[in-house]
This record gives sequence, C-alpha cells and structure tokens, in this order.
Amino acid sequence: MITRKETLECDLLIAGGGIGGLQAAIDAANAGLNVIVAEKANTRRSGSGATGNDHFMCYIPEVHGTLEDYWKLLQYAQEFKGGKDRDYVYAYLKESYGVVLDWESYGIPMRPHGDWEFTGHKRPGVQGMYLKYEGVHQKPLLTKAALKAGAKIMNRMPYTDLILNDKGEVIGAVCVDLNGKEPAVQLVRAKAVIISTAGSTLMNGSTTMGWMFNLIGCPACTGVSTASAYRAGARLVCLDGAVAATGASGCKFFNRGGKATWVGLLTDIDGNPSGPFLEKPDWQCGDVTMDIFPQVFRMNNEKGVPIFMNCSEDTDFDLDYMIWALRHEGNGATLSHLKDEGFDFRKHMVEFDYKKGGGGGKGVGIDANADTSTTVPGLFSVGVSSGNGMVGSGPAACTGRVAAKTVAEYVKGREFEDIEDNEVVNKSIELFNTLLSNPVDTSTPTWNEAILAVQQTMWDYMGSGIRSEALFRTGLEHMARLEKKLKTLHCANNHEFMRCLEAINTLETAKLCMTSSRSRKETRGAHKRADYPFTDPKYDGMLVTLQQIDGEPVSGMRPMHK
Amino acid sequence: MPPIINKEKCTGCMTCVTVCPMDCFGEAEQPEGAKYPVVNFPDECWHCNGCVEDCPAGAVSIRVPMPLNMVFVDAPKKG
Repeated sequence: MITRKETLECDLLIAGGGIGGLQAAIDAANAGLNVIVAEKANTRRSGSGATGNDHFMCYIPEVHGTLEDYWKLLQYAQEFKGGKDRDYVYAYLKESYGVVLDWESYGIPMRPHGDWEFTGHKRPGVQGMYLKYEGVHQKPLLTKAALKAGAKIMNRMPYTDLILNDKGEVIGAVCVDLNGKEPAVQLVRAKAVIISTAGSTLMNGSTTMGWMFNLIGCPACTGVSTASAYRAGARLVCLDGAVAATGASGCKFFNRGGKATWVGLLTDIDGNPSGPFLEKPDWQCGDVTMDIFPQVFRMNNEKGVPIFMNCSEDTDFDLDYMIWALRHEGNGATLSHLKDEGFDFRKHMVEFDYKKGGGGGKGVGIDANADTSTTVPGLFSVGVSSGNGMVGSGPAACTGRVAAKTVAEYVKGREFEDIEDNEVVNKSIELFNTLLSNPVDTSTPTWNEAILAVQQTMWDYMGSGIRSEALFRTGLEHMARLEKKLKTLHCANNHEFMRCLEAINTLETAKLCMTSSRSRKETRGAHKRADYPFTDPKYDGMLVTLQQIDGEPVSGMRPMHK
Repeated sequence: MPPIINKEKCTGCMTCVTVCPMDCFGEAEQPEGAKYPVVNFPDECWHCNGCVEDCPAGAVSIRVPMPLNMVFVDAPKKG
C-alpha cells in the first residue's frame, strides 16, 4: 500500500513550477499568501523554459506607444490567426512591462545590450513585439526570487488531481512525493489552486518516433492540466486545435527549440530564397517567411524541395549575434552538436522543417477568463495550461502575475476544509496501488508502450491531414480499448511510476482532443474534414468547448471575447 | 541523448541529478561508500542542456543520437 504523508496546508497551491508558476508564486507570496509550489522535477531547470526561451512577448510603452498600437502589431504579424480572447491577451499585456522590470531585479538580463531590443520574428521596417533577453539562467533566478519571497517549493512532487467540496469548489489537491525510495501520497489543503503545468507535449509523436522525447517543448508536460481540470468539471477550450505539427519551425530532425534567432535566409538547396521578405540575412528580423507562412515547408516538400536555413552570407556580426542568442534560447545542445559534427556556418546550411509533436503549446486546454479564473471556483489557469493562452515565456509570466492578483482577492475570507475523506483521494490511492502492484515483467505493458499507442492513434485518426466522423469514431474506439489497459501498466521504480501517471493523462488529453474535434462539423485551417469540406459561418468568431457533465463529455461553443 | 559524464572531472556533487527536468540521472554508490551520478534513462534526454550549463566541473556533455544527426548539407558555392 502506498504511504500517505501528513497533509500540507497553504492558501495557494501552484501545480507546476515553470515560468508561469514561479511568477505566480513570487507575486502571491509577496502579497502575503502562504504558497506551495508542487513541481515534478526541480524548478531550477524544469519546463519548456528550462534553459531559455525564444524571446519574451511584451508591451513596453516607451517602445510601442499605446497598448492598442501593440495590439495592431500583433494583428499585422498574423500571430492571432487562430483567434484569441482579446480581453485575456490585454490583461496580461498590461502586466508585461512591470514583469519585465521585475525580471531585471531578479538578475535576469532583459536589456543585455543596454536598451530594449525587439529583434526577430518580424518583417523588415516593422516594430518588433518580442524582447530579446538572456534567458539561459532564468529558471534558477526565478526560483531564487520565489524562495526569497517566501514561497515553499516542493520539488519531485507532481500534482495529480484537484479535490473539490460538495459545492464544486476547489479545496485542495492530490500530489505524489517522489523524494523517497517509493512514491508517497501527499495531499495539500488549499484555498485555491493555480494550474501551470502547460499542455500535453507527448500526445503527438516526434519527427523521430523512435526518440519520443525529441520535442520542441518539455516532454515532461504531459497534460495533467487538461485531464485533471476535465475530471474536476472545468470547461476546456480549443481542443480541436490540437494538430500533429506545432506550427513552429526549426532544425528538421533535432527538435529541441524552434526557429529562435537563426539569422539567415530560408532557401532551397541551390540557395534560392523560399519567401518574399528578405534578399540577404538580417539580424534584426530573422527570416519571417516561416512565421507568416508555416506551410512553406509542406508546400515545398510536396514539390520535392527540402528547405534550409542558409547562413553562408551572414556577416561576422550576424553570426556572433545568432550564436549568443541561441544559447540563451535553450539551444546550447544544438550548437555543441553542430560544432562536434564539423559544421561551418559559412560552408553548410541546416535543414529546417515544421516541427512534429510537442504541440501542447498551441492552445489546447482549460478555458480561462481574462483574470485566469475558470468555470470551477478556486481553480485558476496560467500560461499554456489555458486553451486560450499563448505560448512563450512572456505570456506565461504575465498570466502568472494576473493569477496571483486574482487569487489574492479570491482567498479572502475563505476557510480550509477537510480533504482527507474525499472520493478523488480514495480513487487516486486505488489507482496508485494498482500501478504499484502490477507485476514488473513482460505480462504487463510499460508506460512507453502506452504513449506510442496514443501517438499512433492520434497520427492516423486525427493528425495525418484529413479528418472525418468515421476516422474519429474509429480512433475513439481504439482509444477506449487502450484506456482499459492503462490500469495494467507496470512500474519498477519512482521514475516509471511518474511516467505511468503521465501516460494516463496523455491518453485522456488525446481522447478529449479527438472528441472535441469530432464535434466541429466544418473545415477551417488545419481542421480539414472530408465529410464537412466547407467552412461554416456559424463558427466565425467562436471557440469550441468541452466539459464533463454527468460523467459524459459535452461539446459546445462560445464566442471569442472581444 | 544520452548525457555523458566524464568520470575524471566529476566531483560527485549531484547537480545533474538534481536539475535534470527529465530525471535522466540517478545516484550510484561505490564499494567504499562514495556516491556518484549515473545516467539511468538515456533515451529520455530532451537536450535542454541544463546539466551541461550547471555542472560546476564541466563534466557533462551530450551525445546526440543518430536519428537526429541528419542536420546539415553543403551550402551552394558562391558566385
């Protein structure tokens, strides 16, 4: 039987100590709340911001003018093609200047060259929206700031489920402590819970299926956000947006990191530019072709044309700038590998492609209001845990700040409630005991068998380019049969126990994405239905939702917030 | 993938074990009782480079596996 540790108590439990979670922890602790961060790995290097990120989306008044001016830039950059709630985006953009200044005070160089530097991901002659900064040590520095503010960080303690009272309000959460020789149950009594564990990176397979953790985003983000919020009755949004390819581009087979600060021209093998925006490399812009037309890779591949990042015409300054920036965007391993292989920026060019897998950052998850609250009282959602959120360190940190403010108000006057005798707790312990008691031999499946099965199902019945009722029905039947086998997964140690829980949430998230996509009976963007080939105006300005009602998934839609 | 620990340089401080977001590393014990880090789950490395950045002895590097090696080609000759 799994051991049960003494229940912990805090005003605010933050599930996931990535950038959003740590910013929320810093701000909530500074506001006087008693805060616990439950982190699966170690907040010093956990999550997709582990060793830096590709820019920080933020609004700096002295650079951008009014917030409305910044909004227009976003529209012009076609960043919002998929549609985002305007109130949600505004709420965190309003916080971004303050967050950037605070990051400087934590020791993160936000102006490494003296002034605000908005380079990359932009057309020539247009004001940039993404701040270039030195992020390689952002996580250790945010961790330090959170501890200084008084937040308690519990590493190697993944969150697994929410605990609600009879009124449907959050009163705590189930976590698992993996610090000992065997896993232990750690219940946390809390007045509010912020989920900041990001989306599910593992439900869609990598370009290199045999190396499943070769992904753009952190493979430890496996959908506990979406799955646990669904189990607690929260409304989810944009799950139909789950696609096999992330929309991000970068090294074709080496998938850690995205386009980042590659300074060069996107060309074919003969050096002909693939896009219309640049004639020579531009360190201030990068090649914006793949931001605006991510389909440039598919269009060319269908013609038998591979695409490359060609830096052979870069100046010395271009190269120095790019190599400095790539390290701060978490691409240190890419640079080391290229060096080991004898790569020369002047003589060679790197093959680029659309990334597959790791696409939890595309906006697939909890439906969050502009103040980060959800349809479940006491549950708040940050960063890409929200289906209507945006990917990146900036949105993560700024929604973290918004969440901390909202929670500080929410918890006022609330009392702690008993969480020990609760159905969720009993069910969780039953599941943990089952997993721990399954025979560790060839008679039962491993966690990675389960993940591979989910990825194959997602690819063949949802991700291969065409969708239909018959494909969804077939895929969901396969998924239901796989789901029954999840309780037979075996684990030989804490590590495998953690991976088994991840496999369970990965399958649940994949199933919900398929269910939600099935309900969207039209063709729009990457959602191509063979049985509904036309775009239906009834979905214009609408987002597709999914919620558990009386034990069943119920699809719906809501207007995008203006 | 996998991370490589240079045993000559490693001081056994366990920083890599602590920080790896994918839990690739673990602790092992020498017969005389001294602890040292080992790579338990090499296939689960994400190439984030956290271990390389944080190792105070510069003892960790990353070998990128063959399926990820098809990275570059010759650039066209100029002129």
